[in-house]
Amino acid sequence: MRDQVSVYTNKLIADRSALAQGIAIAAQDDVLIAEGAPDLARLAGDVLSRLTCLGMVVACPSLPFADFLVARAPAGESCIVPHDTETRTFLHDIPFLRRSDLGADPAPLIARLLGSRKGVVVEGVGIVATGALTVEQAYINYSSVFHSTFVKYLQDVLHHGFILPGEAEAFAAFRSQWLRPLTHEGLAFRPGPLAERDEILDEIATVGRYTVERGLVDSFFGNISYRAGEVIYISQTAASLDSLAGCIDPVPTDNSSTFGITASSELLAHRRIYEATGAATILHGHPKFAVIMSMECAEEGCAITDCWKECDRVRFLGDTPVVAGEIGAGGLARRVPPAIAGPRKAVVYGHGVFTVGETDFADAFRAMVAVENWCRREYFRRLEERLG
Amino acid sequence: MLGWAGAILNIDLTSRTAWREDLSAELLHAYLGGRGLGVRLMRCFHTLDPFDPAMPLIFAAGPLCGTPAPTAARLTVVSRSPLTGTIYDCSAGGRFAWRLKGAGVDALRLSGRSETPVALVVTADGVEFVDVPELWGRTVPETVAALSGRGSVAAIGPAGENGVLFANIMMGEGNSVGRGGLGAVMGAKGLKAVVVNGDIPVAVADRERFDRARQDVMRLFRASPVIFGELGIAEYGTPALVDLMRQRRMAPTENFRHTVFEGSANYSGPAIRSAYQAKKDGCYGCPIQCKKSTPRGEHLPEYETVSHFGALNGIASLDAIVKSNTLCNELGMDTISAAATLSAWGEVRGRFPGGEEVQRLLADTAFRREDGELLSLGSRRAARALGRPELSMEVKGLELPAYDPRGAYGMALAYCTSNRGGCHLRAYPISHEILRKPVATDRFSFSGKARIIAIAEDTNAAIDSLVACKFSFFGATLEEYAELLSAATGIEYTPQSLKEIGRRICLTERFYNCANGFDVKDDCLPARFFAEPGSSGEGVDIPPIDRARFDEELQKYYRIRGLTPAGTFADPDFLLTQP
Repeated sequence: MRDQVSVYTNKLIADRSALAQGIAIAAQDDVLIAEGAPDLARLAGDVLSRLTCLGMVVACPSLPFADFLVARAPAGESCIVPHDTETRTFLHDIPFLRRSDLGADPAPLIARLLGSRKGVVVEGVGIVATGALTVEQAYINYSSVFHSTFVKYLQDVLHHGFILPGEAEAFAAFRSQWLRPLTHEGLAFRPGPLAERDEILDEIATVGRYTVERGLVDSFFGNISYRAGEVIYISQTAASLDSLAGCIDPVPTDNSSTFGITASSELLAHRRIYEATGAATILHGHPKFAVIMSMECAEEGCAITDCWKECDRVRFLGDTPVVAGEIGAGGLARRVPPAIAGPRKAVVYGHGVFTVGETDFADAFRAMVAVENWCRREYFRRLEERLG
Repeated sequence: MLGWAGAILNIDLTSRTAWREDLSAELLHAYLGGRGLGVRLMRCFHTLDPFDPAMPLIFAAGPLCGTPAPTAARLTVVSRSPLTGTIYDCSAGGRFAWRLKGAGVDALRLSGRSETPVALVVTADGVEFVDVPELWGRTVPETVAALSGRGSVAAIGPAGENGVLFANIMMGEGNSVGRGGLGAVMGAKGLKAVVVNGDIPVAVADRERFDRARQDVMRLFRASPVIFGELGIAEYGTPALVDLMRQRRMAPTENFRHTVFEGSANYSGPAIRSAYQAKKDGCYGCPIQCKKSTPRGEHLPEYETVSHFGALNGIASLDAIVKSNTLCNELGMDTISAAATLSAWGEVRGRFPGGEEVQRLLADTAFRREDGELLSLGSRRAARALGRPELSMEVKGLELPAYDPRGAYGMALAYCTSNRGGCHLRAYPISHEILRKPVATDRFSFSGKARIIAIAEDTNAAIDSLVACKFSFFGATLEEYAELLSAATGIEYTPQSLKEIGRRICLTERFYNCANGFDVKDDCLPARFFAEPGSSGEGVDIPPIDRARFDEELQKYYRIRGLTPAGTFADPDFLLTQP
């Protein structure tokens, strides 16, 4: 398991979600392993040994947003409730502990909260996340909480501005130092159409890796496919986009085989998008600013409360349509195809971006970068407008 | 008490008496219901012979039964298996659990032996003992038809009456209490059927919280390709796994001599749908409806059944497989053990039985005539009697289902640590090793698997005690089910507390088994899997399992469980420390 600890420590550093010197990972087989920053490693081991779980990540996020959310929360509140799809579906909410709650030995308290949830925020310490069966699962849950708190904080700032001392300065540093220009420049895409199976599999894996390396999506947030004749090659459910080798299912379009039961939950959406667009490639990811902006609706007096699944309107972020729809067997597969057919790109409320390419992934990748860049610019334009 | 009825109905078939007894809140909170409650109630009986009249046969519902919790209208039947000698439980759906809970009890505990064939009718008003000599010898559908006007029926067929060691108890709606031969335990009591017909509603402590948790579960079902995906089990039933197991090269073929069967496409999910116009069917109130049936209502076989009546015996005819499944259901026999016993017997004699021959042999088995007398004892006893014990593919006497352990090492370990023998449903590592839920693990690695198996056993013991369907957990997790349980009962449960309950149940079962002589020697796969490769090809290598590595991981499992290197308990008073 030590190799797993090393792999996911490096991933946390590479994806810049945690501070390099503030990461600890614990795992227990017949013995407990806890490695990383000494204080955090001790805490990770103490917490994990109290739980029926295999893995744990304790890390200090590279951005102070989770701590700000805790500090901004009214007295008496004990959890953060982001409204993006990933949180709503898989995390529900994120409990937190205030610095004043911790005492001399916070491990029992943290363990008690983690007995109910996959991840928690501990003010002044960081994000603590469990993996019931694997270290990777703990990494995924850490990453999910990081993503959720990022989205939630930026939404809150847009609506309510800065409240705490030091917030504005930290936010400015985030904008000038943490955020990097998002671009497709310098990437090599195989020109399509692609005919050979091995070529297709390799290109899907390559482009999946690009999305993570360029900061478009966090490791496992998204899916990708290529249609060649009567077969859709699609990434598997719960597959990391930067590690897709061996995790791509060839699914016959006539459903003559159920071998693709392990394919992404968005298989149906991809199938319908191909039918609606005639495209050859689909790229789907959850870039953060697109997720944030998709939830910013100016409609007033609307009777719909479950906007994320019930809204039947098509809104626009620039020239990109936004539709509602649940993932998997929900309405997403029904609402995205007609919306994406013309503009070749679409955003799903609180969820992420779909783009298509006519013969290869170059167009799809460029379009996703463009959508996210537009949303990023628009976010800061609106923020500046709000802050005056 | 909310969630639970707080009572058990005891029935002595010898004296034909029945009495209700309160169940303490502490006991119910600590064991939940279903498997956990049944196992706890076996504490004073677990060393009795399975056919001893004093041996209880316990039907236990769970605290979510009777509520709209998804997939929770199930119950568990618990006793000691005549096939394996282990403590034994099996959960089943249908309407029976709902009607039992509606009679105002959490569990039925049957003991004694009726001199003449009898059926029980249980309502909220009491118990009626109905003499049914005319039903003895009748098939399950005939018995259900005769009694269904009185409520939901659980019945045995000729196999249970005749003591076939893998006889099932069959629910009237087509579900089965399968594998371990509890139908034979019921038959030994002279009990042909139990009919339940209660309608007392189950109150929920916090309806708003319950509804919110239910919506969370349904959202996760919709996000799960295995459940509601267009190639998932809601569409194709569990035969959706046929193509996947073929592709993973882990479909047991010809008594596990090979792991690919070229004819498997004949009985894949799409093939069954096309050939039989399969429609959705399933347990009462279940949103998944994973069972499939013909337009005439004939139940179509599950994955393990098609694979074992197919590949394991080298049979490619879907029609023959469906007939074998129907025959087992009518006679009240477990399809996995029946097919696996035929396969072992086939390898011993040098020829696997063909489709029609299988059907004749199944009938002979249920009535214990000619070759069926030996086959009725299961593969372990049959192979031993024929002088080829190594050809029985089982663990602790329970025949292995249709997941070749050479293709998934967690599955290999889980078969052996399972307290009820060679069963895929205890730790259910197929979920993560093959179906990638909740997260993918490397199927060809033992790394971490001992801990993963122990955690999964605990989790599934809690699920079996709720009693919920394991298929729910291809999408949902204990987080959502703990919410449902807390909302239903008003008692705060968490995933962690549920897993701790599950651990208590697993260890109690293990303690019972140890008291009956089980130890490390019984936690092992047949030698074939350590010596012979599977069917490598198409870029997938299926070598024999590394025995030393397997043993190392098994010892890790013992350490994690706090057991001795022999797989036993250092503390003989372990049970006394439990609630």
